[in-house]
Amino acid sequence: MRISLNEIKKYVSIPESVSTEDLIKLIGSRLVEVEEAIDLAPKYKNAYIVKVAECEPIEGTHLHRCAIEIGDCEYENSDLSGCGGGAAEPIGAAPATAGGRNHCPTNGDSRSCKVQVVCGAPNVRKGMLAVWLAPGAIVPQTYGNENFKLGVRKLQGYESNGMLAGLDELDLGDDHSGIVEIDPSMDFPGTTRNVQPGDSFADVFELNDIILDIENKSLTHRPDTFGLIGFAREVAGILGINFAEGLVSSKIADMSISGSIFLRENTIGRAPATAGGPTGARDDITQAGDGKISIKIEDAKLCPRYSCAVIEMKDATEKEKYLTPGVVFLAKAGMRTIDKIVDITNILMLQTGQPLHAFDYDKFIKVGNTKSPKVTVRLAKENEELQLLDGKTIKCTTDDILIASNDVPVALAGAMGGASTEIDASTTKIFLESATFSLYNLRKTQMYHGIFSEAITRFTKGQPAGQTVPVLNEAIERLGGELIETADSYPGKQKSEVINLTTHDINSLLGTNYKTSEIVKTLANVGINDTNTAADLSFCVPYWRTDLHIKEDIIEEVGRLNGYDNIPKTLPIRPFIGAKEDEMLKLKKQIRSILSDNLGAHEVLTYTFVNKKLQKLVGEDTKDSYEIINSISPDLQALRQSLTPSLLEKIYLNQKAGYKDFTLYEMNQVTKKSLGFTEDKVPNVEHHLALATTHDYYYAKALLENLAKSLHLNIAVKEFKSGPAYFEPLHSAEIILNGQTIGYLGEIRMGVQSGLKLPLTSAFEINLAFLLDINNHHIAMPRLSKYPSSERDLTLKVPADLAYESLKDAIVNTLDNQDNLIYTITPASIYQKEKSTKNISFKLSFASTKKTLESAEISAIMEEVINSTAAFHASVV
Amino acid sequence: MSELEKLKSELNSLGKEYAKIKTLPPEERKDFGIKLNQKKEDLLQKIQQAEAAEQSKNIEPIDITAPSAPNEQIPEFKNGSKHPLMTELDRVCDIYSRMGFNVMEARTIDDEFNMFEALNFPEGHPARDGYDTFRTAEGFIPPAHTSTMQHRALKKYKKDLENGGQIAVVIPGRVYRNEDVDATHEHTFYQCEGIFVSKDATMGQMLGVLKNFFETYYGQELNIRTQPGYFPFTEPSLEFMIEKPKSLGGKGDGWLEMLGCGMIHPNVLKMAGIDPAKYKGFAWGGGIDRLVMLRYGLTDVRYFESGKLEFLKEF
Repeated sequence: MRISLNEIKKYVSIPESVSTEDLIKLIGSRLVEVEEAIDLAPKYKNAYIVKVAECEPIEGTHLHRCAIEIGDCEYENSDLSGCGGGAAEPIGAAPATAGGRNHCPTNGDSRSCKVQVVCGAPNVRKGMLAVWLAPGAIVPQTYGNENFKLGVRKLQGYESNGMLAGLDELDLGDDHSGIVEIDPSMDFPGTTRNVQPGDSFADVFELNDIILDIENKSLTHRPDTFGLIGFAREVAGILGINFAEGLVSSKIADMSISGSIFLRENTIGRAPATAGGPTGARDDITQAGDGKISIKIEDAKLCPRYSCAVIEMKDATEKEKYLTPGVVFLAKAGMRTIDKIVDITNILMLQTGQPLHAFDYDKFIKVGNTKSPKVTVRLAKENEELQLLDGKTIKCTTDDILIASNDVPVALAGAMGGASTEIDASTTKIFLESATFSLYNLRKTQMYHGIFSEAITRFTKGQPAGQTVPVLNEAIERLGGELIETADSYPGKQKSEVINLTTHDINSLLGTNYKTSEIVKTLANVGINDTNTAADLSFCVPYWRTDLHIKEDIIEEVGRLNGYDNIPKTLPIRPFIGAKEDEMLKLKKQIRSILSDNLGAHEVLTYTFVNKKLQKLVGEDTKDSYEIINSISPDLQALRQSLTPSLLEKIYLNQKAGYKDFTLYEMNQVTKKSLGFTEDKVPNVEHHLALATTHDYYYAKALLENLAKSLHLNIAVKEFKSGPAYFEPLHSAEIILNGQTIGYLGEIRMGVQSGLKLPLTSAFEINLAFLLDINNHHIAMPRLSKYPSSERDLTLKVPADLAYESLKDAIVNTLDNQDNLIYTITPASIYQKEKSTKNISFKLSFASTKKTLESAEISAIMEEVINSTAAFHASVV
Repeated sequence: MSELEKLKSELNSLGKEYAKIKTLPPEERKDFGIKLNQKKEDLLQKIQQAEAAEQSKNIEPIDITAPSAPNEQIPEFKNGSKHPLMTELDRVCDIYSRMGFNVMEARTIDDEFNMFEALNFPEGHPARDGYDTFRTAEGFIPPAHTSTMQHRALKKYKKDLENGGQIAVVIPGRVYRNEDVDATHEHTFYQCEGIFVSKDATMGQMLGVLKNFFETYYGQELNIRTQPGYFPFTEPSLEFMIEKPKSLGGKGDGWLEMLGCGMIHPNVLKMAGIDPAKYKGFAWGGGIDRLVMLRYGLTDVRYFESGKLEFLKEF
């Protein structure tokens, strides 16, 4: 949304003490974030109103050689200064010697000063007022992009100074059919004189302006601010100024459509303004006609109010001959002029937030085959077809609201009119609609049909029913045709709400100390008035504030309008209670520290979503994954069931980048359908740790064991019976903690390695929940001896297929049975020369808690150890 | 005679001095003894130093600037790395923890109820579209913000309130938005949510807590600024900004948007079974990725989930 500060100033007199910069800051801190404040002044610098004094066709071309009166304008042209012939060459005056200035005599008759411009527009003619972009001007259309700067150049041998501009070149519309013509009877703003050659174009059309660019999303909850009047009311509020709701049109009644026209009373059938309507505007409809219009609203929720008028207008599609302030007004808001009636309704929409739609009256009743309009507002039937104004035929959904003429659809409500009732040059009567619709339905319509017009943007914020009639009345005024008939159906009558609260409620939530009178004034500034009933405070919600319902809504207004930044900052007082740590987060932090700081592994974060192709490649059951149905890419198809496959992709990526010998790990949540649901019916998740390394099984195992040791966990491995399909079963193991399988460890299956172009890669993945179980933690009391220890080496020749761990367990068992013995057993080497046998060497150390062990005693223990291994057909080497 | 020998003979000669004590008048003996002991101490210390110097006599100097001794392999240590997002998240949680906030982790998949309903988003409300949520076929939602955890956290800690205490909890987690990825947009990122509920929580307290957090985080006093915002689950709602800290090159002019915050909407409290007439609260949520990007001057958000070692090894 683009908001003109000049327009705002028409409704609110900004105190001189508040600079434009301050104002923008205040709007930012108390109303809405200003994405950008665009200064239009430099864009229209060096654009002047001029009179075409002479206009001669150049033979054999479509061009005209014009002499233009430029009055006493002093255009700046610094770039051309000094270079001979650079400056605009006045005709009939001394040649320029130093550029950059208009050398026309300003003391004498400036009208005699003329400059030559070659113009190709078909509508250029002697006597007209046009807009001249002087040498040095940047063509506004190119401003901020290529910044095309005009100069003096020769066209067909004639010198041309700058250019006479068309609507498109001025960036005020799309029209490229000719140059812009200015109405000579137009007043120079703020004076009683007419515009004249030499007047600054920006001054005449109020283009010395700042445009505030506001993100629509930021004001989703404030439909009223989608009209200039509503926005201005807020600006008054944050400046602490009472918004003059009663500043009515009489003062400015004669201003053109771009003027600060408030919703005003209709001159026909005057009625006093009522509390429910906007101040100065009537909310009852102008009575006209014989009540032949019938309005049938299927459901008040779909369309709380439908108001309409029939107006005789023969010039509905007429285009203005002259550039009007209205066209400029629309351009500043980012809209384009279309024709008289569309412009008037669009300007009203920008001012009030209320979109209007005009049908061709004769077509409307012809389509419905009725004598007078028979309007139906209803939901569309599935696949009901409607050709829209843009020529497209849509198939409706049952969420779309249709406007029908005797049940024949003629418009997609709030979104776009139908082609069958389009206004054209032959239109003599219009049927003008001012209504409000369910924002929820229109939101669906907008999304489904992809219609993002200014009108539907406003409707989807929920425009209040209270404004349809006042805006319609104003439209009737501005259109100026003969009013034939009106009608108003208001089944969803807006209830007037009153919010009661206390000064204490406000101060205790904000942490402030506002006086009751301050609060009352703050809110009265924006039309929220205290009704002074018995309650401490009792605010009447104005009809345009559809967002105010509860106490907190009022408290927000008080805090916001006075500035949240003015609230004193304090700290809550808390009892001395230790904050609880999240056990899982604590564990993850510990693991992170061990793996990254001690074990040389790199932590990665990879996406929660994976491509189903990857799942299939690693042998996961894709049906067990929750599937994302609206993903933007096939790489985000499914929620992952495990972390390892994602790590494998990153192993590939990094080794391709030239890295060798590295380890990656990730801790994150995984889920799959077979995990079932929590008590509150959402899918269970598991917290996993996965690690992948470009080494063999033993390296991954060593990492796992080191990690487990640092965490005081007694883990073991056992035969891989079942587990993720991406592990090579014979080179993999189940990880056991306290008898439970907590995860898997192993080399990645050959097929997966080749499928993902991996080097030899091993991995483990464990479910961290098991690690949290306090019973699984094993912190052994250290057993120490003050007596010296002795060491022995032991090498046993065993069958090749004997598991190392069984041999070790046998030795450990024997040693555990010794009295008072403290021992360590460390693997030294595993050596295999023959196919059938291997040599396993251990280093053993012994100490007694009671005495120094003698050699004979140690030998006796060794003897027992060796005997215990006999069952494995072991022999001492 | 070497220096050491000299010292040793001097020590030996002290024996004679000690013998003299007996010859002195009793009143002088104490002073004499103290002085003699002191002398002995000094000598012993000097002898120790001299002995140490003797032992080191044969040590060859090494090139302390070289990467290794001659003929030896240059030592190689493999350094691991922690993901910067996780390091930052730990720091953030640590500070809140010290302020007295419990920490609980957000979940990676949730439902429509927690994402919207429990947060006072009316059904079909356009504000629901603003979050560009991913959806599963079953209608589950990988959460688009950590606020999805508010309802759970309120219910979980409600009994603390009933026991006369307060709810103070922060919730870090991973969140998702269905949008195209570029240098400044990721569909996957991290947020940290905060909730405080008590009998007398105020907006002034919220601003104080957040100001205090960022001052601790950046290690300096900071000016703060706010801007009205709109979230259905807070009323009033604010955007919270801090002055650009010195450590990020701030010179007291620029502002950084840090998070969205507000007073918890009474409907959100009600949904969790907390009486909004008795209790008030505030909540906030902000991105972690941005904190990391600011800290390290990163300009491309895509590095975070890239898994690239060239990036990770820097942390």
